[in-house]
Amino acid sequence: MLRLTGLAVRYGDREILRGIDIEVAAGELLAVLGANGSGKSTLLRAAAGLDPVSRGSITVADRQRRTMDIALVFQKIHLVGRRSALDNVCAGALGRLPLRRSLTPALFPRDVREEAMACLDRVGLANRAHDRAGRLSGGQQQRVAIARALCQRAPVVLADEPVSALDPAAAEQVLALLAELAHGEGLAVLAVLHQPDLARRHADRIVGLRDGAVVLEGDPRQPVDGLYADREPEAVR
Amino acid sequence: MSVLEAPRAPVPPKPRNPRTVLAGWVAGAVVVAVHVIAWRATDISIADLVDGWQGMADFLAEAVPPDLSPGLLRESAEASLVTLWIGLLGTTLSVPLSLMLALLAARGTSPAGWIYQITRGLLSFLRAVPDVVFALIFVTAVGLGPFPGVLALVTHNVGVMGKLWAETLEDADPGPATALRSAGAGRIQVAAHALLPSVMPQMVGLLLYRFDVNVRSSLVLGLVGAGGIGFLINQSIQLFQFDQMLTHILVVLVLIIAVDRLSAVVRRRLAPAGAS
Ligand SMILES: Nc1ncnc2c1ncn2[C@@H]1O[C@H](COP(=O)(O)OP(=O)(O)OP(=O)(O)O)[C@@H](O)[C@H]1O
Ligand SMILES: [Mg+2]
Repeated sequence: MLRLTGLAVRYGDREILRGIDIEVAAGELLAVLGANGSGKSTLLRAAAGLDPVSRGSITVADRQRRTMDIALVFQKIHLVGRRSALDNVCAGALGRLPLRRSLTPALFPRDVREEAMACLDRVGLANRAHDRAGRLSGGQQQRVAIARALCQRAPVVLADEPVSALDPAAAEQVLALLAELAHGEGLAVLAVLHQPDLARRHADRIVGLRDGAVVLEGDPRQPVDGLYADREPEAVR
Repeated sequence: MSVLEAPRAPVPPKPRNPRTVLAGWVAGAVVVAVHVIAWRATDISIADLVDGWQGMADFLAEAVPPDLSPGLLRESAEASLVTLWIGLLGTTLSVPLSLMLALLAARGTSPAGWIYQITRGLLSFLRAVPDVVFALIFVTAVGLGPFPGVLALVTHNVGVMGKLWAETLEDADPGPATALRSAGAGRIQVAAHALLPSVMPQMVGLLLYRFDVNVRSSLVLGLVGAGGIGFLINQSIQLFQFDQMLTHILVVLVLIIAVDRLSAVVRRRLAPAGAS
């Protein structure tokens, strides 16, 4: 479904991603592992079209990627704190709404609001629909962000550390949800994780990044220590 | 371990860069020089102030006590209300245009670099021309009265509020905007759903602040014939009715304090809602 070919990204004269090839099939949950600064967020942002790519191609279903094709769940969540959870989820649908039906949340068509409500229900937050997003806990906000991505109806979902702010039980729930989106609804899901153990239990496949290159790929049960070992800590570099 | 025994370390002398020291002296000299020039150019003269003291005392003696006859108070209160209405409309009627220009003059929302530059230029122009000058222009165009005052305030206020709002929009957290953009939202949708809701409390706060300022400006506009209490103050000075002038000033003082309090209270109420 999602295919990244020879993807390279530079910031100034630093090459952050150095020719990455990754494929995520429909119905598959792929976990991306890698140390801090290895380029995981950059990979997701570039795939979603937020960062300029210096080389390589991004296709969704064998066609050049369009913005709407990829839903991105950000590492920093990025909800509008002063709007309700439901309004935030509705905003995921903006890309397919005409301007006159989308200038304020009150103008959103009824079916969009109902669809957003169903998305909130999927992440277990239907009862907080009218609470301000800024008043929810970090884990709840994370789930609202996932609901917003669902409301975008994209065939590809990229999630950047979707469980880094969650307690173990909530993390388990969110990964089960992502796995269900892949296995149950046939979405291509790529999640960046820092917990090899979660990847082992939920992902179908893993990809390991190191210094902007793919260094391991395949069975989620394989050892991944090499990704984090004998690395100069970033702060001292 | 008691506080007295806490370990100590000698503080090394702060390194002084001779160039920073020199720059400090130069800056100080420039400030002094500029003040000398300004003092001369404005004909500041202590002697004139002392000589004029008698004139001011006479002026005050005639103004006190103020004329508190009910008829005048009523007239004064009515004119003060007109001043308030001028300030109010001068603020609210400028909202649509200010918002539009602010969106065009904020980096995150402006559709193109040249539009950004042109809008910024227009806003600077509207800000640079004082509202009194606009008032004089509109008085010649539409005649004496409160209406040219409203027009003048709207025109100048668009320049100020457009710029303040544009800067607020630029300071907004770009995260939610990026998120919506990556979901396929267009420029206007991003502004309506990510930026504006995030900065709404700041924008309303600035609006109230401008209301406060505009009520005071509309007083000055009255002096040049644009209606309201300023007009009465001007009239009473020209007719040497200083006791009436003082009445008007006292009444308008009440008005301004009331507006100031009101806008402070509303702004304070907005603040906690802004913390999200
Ligand atoms: N806007 C930017 N400008 C310059 N360099 C950047 C920028 N964004 C990221 N980088 C650099 O790119 C490298 C990869 O960053 P990235 O955020 O992709 O890492 P990551 O794998 O997501 O790390 P983490 O686990 O900490 O989230 C880092 O060295 C970072 O300093
Ligand atoms: Mg990251």
